[in-house]
Amino acid sequence: MRGGSLIREARRRAGLTQVELAARLHTTQSAIARIERGGTEPSYERVTDALRACGYELVPRLLPADDADWTVASTNLAVDPDTRVRRHQAALRFAEAGRKALTDARA
Amino acid sequence: MPEPEFRPELLLGVLARHGVRHVLIGGFAGVIHGSPYVTTDVDVVPDTDPANLERLSSALDDLRARVWTQDEPGGVAFDHDGVSLGAVRTWNLVTDHGRLDITFEPSGTAGYDDVARDAVHLVILGTEVDVASLADVIRSKEAAGRDKDHLVLPVLRRILAENERCPQADSVASRRSANASTFRRQPSSRGPLMPDT
Repeated sequence: MRGGSLIREARRRAGLTQVELAARLHTTQSAIARIERGGTEPSYERVTDALRACGYELVPRLLPADDADWTVASTNLAVDPDTRVRRHQAALRFAEAGRKALTDARA
Repeated sequence: MPEPEFRPELLLGVLARHGVRHVLIGGFAGVIHGSPYVTTDVDVVPDTDPANLERLSSALDDLRARVWTQDEPGGVAFDHDGVSLGAVRTWNLVTDHGRLDITFEPSGTAGYDDVARDAVHLVILGTEVDVASLADVIRSKEAAGRDKDHLVLPVLRRILAENERCPQADSVASRRSANASTFRRQPSSRGPLMPDT
């Protein structure tokens, strides 16, 4: 994820405009806009400063890499939204049939 | 009464037929953006314009919407109009096509105008729907901060990063669809949006 995206997320959560955030950071609205749209990649310190100006802290955590969800997500990204929804509904139907089979087996 | 089969395209189709201005957000919006996490409800953010709330009320009549409760999963009937709907922050409903959660101000957002700004207008299984941007889905889930949100956020952020690294990836997928050309910006229904400054 780009630092600019994180700044935009924090700014919007805080209900700030780019002008207001720029004022808090003693910079210009155009500089904020450039960072948010990816024209400039801010340093880690710049990101944390901006987030703090929005009232948030960035708390880094090191977690073991896990590609399990990404494997499915990347498959989803390769198909159109209609197919994503159809697959989702097929998964639901299968799960529902599974629950019914389990209930029947217990009866 | 058992909960009905989840048919999101039919549910959203009723809202569309009634001309209800709304944005799809939450887990199902995440699914459309590629999330691998299955969800069984639809979350929408309606415009709070009084006329829109009246249209929403009519749509809920057509959907035979009931209030979901722990004790009565099939839902409890309730009377509503635009005013009463707008007076409550969140509605958890059961409809003939599945669960529908109505939220006027999702966590971390300022409501309809805020999430409509970057929403994408899609035609999904024949139903037109405005889907919140992935960044806004993430913003809302991050602010909500429930365990189920924390579970899905890593992969949503990774999808967002992938889209930012390769902006054409998602639109390439959409061009493969029979509904090619459906990935387009939502036209504002209230005139030009204010610049984000």
